[in-house]
Amino acid sequence: MLEIVKPGLETSIQDFPGRIGYWNQGFPPSGPMDSWSFRLANILVSNEIGAPGLEAQFMGPTIKFQKDGVIAVTGANMGPKLDGEEIPMWQSVAVTANQTLVMGPALFGARGYLAIAGGIDAPKWLGSASTFHKASVGGLDGNALKAGQVLPVGDGHGHAGRRVKENCRPAFASDKKWQIEAVAGPNDDWIDTDGHKQFLATDWKLEARSDRTGYRLEGPDWTFTQKATDKPPENGEFPSNIIDHGYPMGGINLCGQKPIILVNDGPSMGGFIVPYTVPSAAFWKLGQIKPNEFLCFKRVNVEEAQTLRVALDDRCTESSIET
Amino acid sequence: MIFDEPNFLPGGDRYITVEFGNEMNLELNFMAQGLAEALEKSSIQGLVETAPCFATLLVHYEPREISFGDMVKEIKHLMASLGSSEEIEMASRLFTFETLYLDPWTKECIDDYREKLNPDKEYDPDFVARLNGLEDRHQLVRVHSGTEYWVASLGFWPGLPFLQPLDPRAMITCPKYNPPRTWTPQGTVGMGGSASAIYPVATPGGYQLFGRTPVPIWDTEKRFEVFQGDIVLFQPGDRIKFQPVSREAYDEAERRIKDGSYIYNIIEYQKFSVRNYKEWIAKLDHSERF
Repeated sequence: MLEIVKPGLETSIQDFPGRIGYWNQGFPPSGPMDSWSFRLANILVSNEIGAPGLEAQFMGPTIKFQKDGVIAVTGANMGPKLDGEEIPMWQSVAVTANQTLVMGPALFGARGYLAIAGGIDAPKWLGSASTFHKASVGGLDGNALKAGQVLPVGDGHGHAGRRVKENCRPAFASDKKWQIEAVAGPNDDWIDTDGHKQFLATDWKLEARSDRTGYRLEGPDWTFTQKATDKPPENGEFPSNIIDHGYPMGGINLCGQKPIILVNDGPSMGGFIVPYTVPSAAFWKLGQIKPNEFLCFKRVNVEEAQTLRVALDDRCTESSIET
Repeated sequence: MIFDEPNFLPGGDRYITVEFGNEMNLELNFMAQGLAEALEKSSIQGLVETAPCFATLLVHYEPREISFGDMVKEIKHLMASLGSSEEIEMASRLFTFETLYLDPWTKECIDDYREKLNPDKEYDPDFVARLNGLEDRHQLVRVHSGTEYWVASLGFWPGLPFLQPLDPRAMITCPKYNPPRTWTPQGTVGMGGSASAIYPVATPGGYQLFGRTPVPIWDTEKRFEVFQGDIVLFQPGDRIKFQPVSREAYDEAERRIKDGSYIYNIIEYQKFSVRNYKEWIAKLDHSERF
């Protein structure tokens, strides 16, 4: 059992891959934004890679353990301390009853992950324990964690001292500039040649008004092809309006002139074009970018994006662990 | 237009948008839903889920199991075996909802918007009636409640249905709010463009508002049998009828919802046949208004 002493900033229970199969009813998958770090944390404590754990954003929680156990902290460096002593990240650590873990502000990256052997024993809502705060679904009670809550933990068989190999950990940008892969489509033919050049040449600033539903980017205006201006009126009045369509997760949604990347808790449909889509293998980077840092996009094709996906999945396995 | 051949557009490494056309036309949604159902029944390896919208079907696949190119081939192959859209026949449940049109709660919401954001905003029912050449707000109620609605898609909020009128004599259109509202009462019935919707919970919104139903379409507490398997009520391909009721009947329904004795009015034995539907609308005088 874990007792939440301080909740941090919207710390939530998430599992991987989240709530899949309900997109046609408007449910987003939710799940950890940086699923690379999340999966590694579970592997470290010998859980299934998708077992429910905690995602902390920008400011970590303070947690008191009510039982002995094994934990692992990965993702953003929140300077984790156990009873005041620093503990290593990317490594499984034994904890004993009544010890307290303090995770502080994120020093590098944005989201920290905590896995505990056995996983958080949270109820499943539509097949997943992932919290979708906006609609009060998932987690313990549909919401982010609150002080005083006690989280049940399943039976686990973790061992301390398992480490993620250095070269198998995600490398966070040190200069506040993140290179993010993007696949053209589904609506790339609504943007003209100059618009595409500009998209790929711009350092897009992540706005503070970004969260698990969408990442708002600050940058120049877009330019369009005739397809955007010469269309049946039911498509809407702005060049970027289209008849409401289903959004791919990771879609870079052009809301008027404002690009918004639709992330884990994003909408399933809407009336704006999606000229590019961030592939699944680049999502971990989105999870670790902080507001006012920059995204520059690198165009990849579908096959390259799928190769990256396979490579990432292969890193989220026991082969990345050393003892 | 309806495209001769649909477009297959990539969405990153794990989505395909199948685009059937670029206009608001029920036919396109029937094609999307017909393909969604065929895909679900198929045994295509690597298919994760689908989500139909007005003119498109979004297909989510697992790239570890199937490539983009192979998935497109599989979909094309399946479509070739389906025949024309007239052949589409889908199980379709019919839901009837007690609805208080011209209700005090949406009026309050509109008044609040006028006070805070746009003093010139015309009262929504009068605005929509005027734009569509109807006599007054009371004819709007007759026209809007005079048809079954087709659940074309769900989104914006989990469980929020985007509804198209099946009877062409009930087709009305109106613009959305600009700027959007900061709140909308739960259960509000409204419309934007040519789509109607029910707000599952209190959320911001942009539709013109003219009625409210007390019947929950979203329930995380699963107080009613209909929410046992799911916490939202609708699936694409369901149909909805808004039944205008008095304030007394609305209050009675609300009371029964509160004490748990409310019975959902759902008909489950019908199938929706695109051919039968088309034959029916061909017989109608589309210029008629209720």
